[in-house]
Amino acid sequence: MSTESTAQGAELSAESIERELLGFLEAKTRTTLTPDQDMFASGLVSSMFAMELVVHLEQTYRVAIVGADLKLDNFRTVQRMTELVLRLRAGSPAVGHA
Amino acid sequence: MPDRHVGGPAAGDRLADGFALLDSLVDGRAEAWDLSGEIPLEVLRTAGERGLLCAQVARELGGLGLSSRDNGELTAHAGSLCSSLRSVMTSQGMAAWTIQRLANPDQSAALLPELVGGKLAAVGFSESGAGSDVTAMTTKIEVSGDSVVVTGHKVWMTAAHYADLLVVFGQCEGGAAVVAVPASAPGVHVERVADPLGCRAAGHANVRFDSVRLPLSSLLGTPGMPLPLLVTTALAYGRISVAWGCVGILRACRHAAARHAASRVQFGKPLHEHQLVAGHLADLYADEQVAAQACAHASACWDAGSPDQVVATVLAKHVSAGHAARGAAAAVQVLASAGARDGHVVARAYRDAKLMEIIEGSNEICQLILAQHAVATAQ
Repeated sequence: MSTESTAQGAELSAESIERELLGFLEAKTRTTLTPDQDMFASGLVSSMFAMELVVHLEQTYRVAIVGADLKLDNFRTVQRMTELVLRLRAGSPAVGHA
Repeated sequence: MPDRHVGGPAAGDRLADGFALLDSLVDGRAEAWDLSGEIPLEVLRTAGERGLLCAQVARELGGLGLSSRDNGELTAHAGSLCSSLRSVMTSQGMAAWTIQRLANPDQSAALLPELVGGKLAAVGFSESGAGSDVTAMTTKIEVSGDSVVVTGHKVWMTAAHYADLLVVFGQCEGGAAVVAVPASAPGVHVERVADPLGCRAAGHANVRFDSVRLPLSSLLGTPGMPLPLLVTTALAYGRISVAWGCVGILRACRHAAARHAASRVQFGKPLHEHQLVAGHLADLYADEQVAAQACAHASACWDAGSPDQVVATVLAKHVSAGHAARGAAAAVQVLASAGARDGHVVARAYRDAKLMEIIEGSNEICQLILAQHAVATAQ
């Protein structure tokens, strides 16, 4: 996977996360999305796919998404996911493995 | 990149110790447990205290800290000895995994050491009206002040007969929630499922929760979480655990069938020299290898943190359960009257494997998920 370089970068901007996520989602869903597009309203997200997204975010950005953060609102749009990643990276120490 | 280093340098030793401990704990008694429908509680407590029942719990919390791959090998070994014990292992591991994903750090720090300290746990999803369709569950979790109240009726909770802690899924504030309920709490009524088809000593029980009031700290996560995502997350562990357990069933069947075919003589030569019997042995071997590879792939995805783990796990579960059911039937066919009585390793496998095609996502639910994936990735 091409995620290592992404995760290692010390400075992650919202723009770079959004870009990476849009690429990931485009490859997975074969749909072109915008950062503020509601994926649940678009019917693009099943619970299986939501779990893939959780794992992808955790692995790519070295964060742990647990407990209350597993609410769907955090995954509704690329912007929301980007906010989640930035918040967890700012607040929580990097995690190695589960 | 996958697995081995996850468990640290001594992971191999811990795995070997785990195999040896499982051997000594079962000690040829799986047949007796199957016939009596009961595993001695001290066996389960010892396995629990040694971390074997949820071996991926981190070492900082007192667990073995095994990778998914190593835990899979341990699970397969348990499955080759006794699918009832392996089912208890699946339940405990799924409870630990659910806690790890949903609990806050304080709750994890309190609960996970208990699950590697001898306490036993079960997980409740199914209800009489909510099987494959988990969203139809009616169990209610209500937050009132500093309490949480659980009301509902779960069915077929594996290991609930033995469990100290019941991890219960229910509807809560427009979404879902999960509560860790002590089995001793007032209002909890555990009633064993009588005479289950398979995994007869796994302690399946129907559990009623009559307005069970608990401190708010028993609530894992937050009210109103998405039920399908919660269940999918918890089941992912259950599925990979069942899949590895099925590899163990196939291994036990392959050994039993091959031993028998090598020693039993009919029409002047050993059974394995009869081509139709040899065909069964070849199929059993192929089924075991294919199931093991599907499981190894899924575990490698877990250990690498790859999103592919989600589909790979469903694939492993589907392939392994189907192959185990088919392989166990072939093993009974090869052993014939020598294996056709309750308690015999292949007779147990035949009954146990059938249940594996039903639980943690039936064959048909797995097919729906895999079909959806096939469509989504069509070129």
